[in-house]
Amino acid sequence: MDKQQAYNTYMKNTHRLGRAVSLLTLAMLLGAPFLIGSLLGTMPDLAAAARGFLSVGLVWTVSSVVEYLVYTPMLGAGGSYLAFITGNLINMKIPCAMNARELVDAKTGTAENEVISTLSIATSSLVTIVVLAAGVALMIPLRPVLESPVLAPAFANVVPALFGAMAYKYYRKDVRLALVPLCCMSLLFMLVPSLTSSTSFMIIPSGALAIGLSWLKYRKGAKQA
Amino acid sequence: MSVLDQLNGTGIYLICGGIVLFIAAVCVVFMVRAWKAGKALGMDPVRMKRAIASSATFSVLPSVGILLGVLALSGSLGIPWPWLRLSVIGALHYETQVADAAAEQLGIRLGMDPMTTQAFSTIALLMSVCIMWGMVLATLFNRKYLNRLQGKDPAAKKSGGFGDFAMVAMFIGMVSAYLGSYLGGFVSGKGRFTFAGSWTPLLVAAVAALAMAGFTWLAEKKHWDWLDNFSIAGSMLLGMLAAVLAGQ
Repeated sequence: MDKQQAYNTYMKNTHRLGRAVSLLTLAMLLGAPFLIGSLLGTMPDLAAAARGFLSVGLVWTVSSVVEYLVYTPMLGAGGSYLAFITGNLINMKIPCAMNARELVDAKTGTAENEVISTLSIATSSLVTIVVLAAGVALMIPLRPVLESPVLAPAFANVVPALFGAMAYKYYRKDVRLALVPLCCMSLLFMLVPSLTSSTSFMIIPSGALAIGLSWLKYRKGAKQA
Repeated sequence: MSVLDQLNGTGIYLICGGIVLFIAAVCVVFMVRAWKAGKALGMDPVRMKRAIASSATFSVLPSVGILLGVLALSGSLGIPWPWLRLSVIGALHYETQVADAAAEQLGIRLGMDPMTTQAFSTIALLMSVCIMWGMVLATLFNRKYLNRLQGKDPAAKKSGGFGDFAMVAMFIGMVSAYLGSYLGGFVSGKGRFTFAGSWTPLLVAAVAALAMAGFTWLAEKKHWDWLDNFSIAGSMLLGMLAAVLAGQ
């Protein structure tokens, strides 16, 4: 069997497996509240859940569709099935997979990228599972450390630390391109401060602007070549 | 027995722990399959090991941050359910918001009013329903969507074309949105252009970026290649240390 055939078989089985485990996980996650409810002797209030869904769920549904469309090409098949099952996409899985593929120089849409992305997301998910399981097991002795007022600012700033480090890594690839979305976003957040609570949604216009500029530059380069 | 004691009961630990274990097994299966596929494609095992090592070190600090989310929610929802939610599918910023909204529909204030067993099971259901769409979409459309994007011959493809530039640009856009929000928060966070908002996220991001520059210099100029695996985690740690020193 040549490489192409082997890869095609791998992808076919990845989709099969991905769909099966996604459906199983969905069934378990939706079934768990009812199972727990039966243990506690009270079932969920479906009317209240429906009202809650209308108040916040619709926003998250739209956000999920956009996340799916934007992040799936970055993650590939195996990586995206795993990432949508294990969550924490923006604050961990996406930067993690991007960092891994950068380190090994895997190109978008290639078989290498598919393999590296899956390895990266699986590893990241396992680390989170292990850290959380250890943390839960050691919750009583760890609580004073985790809740220490001295360390509180550090834990409150995990995301700025992550994006600061990533900023250097990616801005240096194209400083001029980076300046435009950075200035636009900064100005927007200064003029409309309430947007800071919707930063994850603002990734979309910011990303679209950067991709648009990058496309113009790419076309210009292609014409000159 | 209080409701919180019931929510921390063995039965709920077993249900949640069982699901977490299943997801861990899924991750291992995907990982082994990807490793074997990489070898079949002729990929260098050293590069694959490097991707695994860097992803592991990268994920430790954010995972500790997520653990804090479990801690934050454990006061009202017990330990096992937040543990499950944040190990599987959940996201730190999402869980609290949805739990709050569900509690509001039930007429209770999360963390302030006493939890009831029915309120808990309703909150748990809503938390599961609201964030399941990524999984649903992946199940329904992943194959067609990716086939359309990747074309027919990805195994023979060596270059990503505009795709590579688009990914970098998307990431630049993502980082810019966050950095812009920190700058906007400082300048207008407590009134437009008052410069009275918190400057700690800006300081942390700047220190982490400087640290990253230092690590990159060492890796590229001094050829300390091994440092690449730890540069993000190390930069984050230094950034977070700056927040502790600033004491905010």
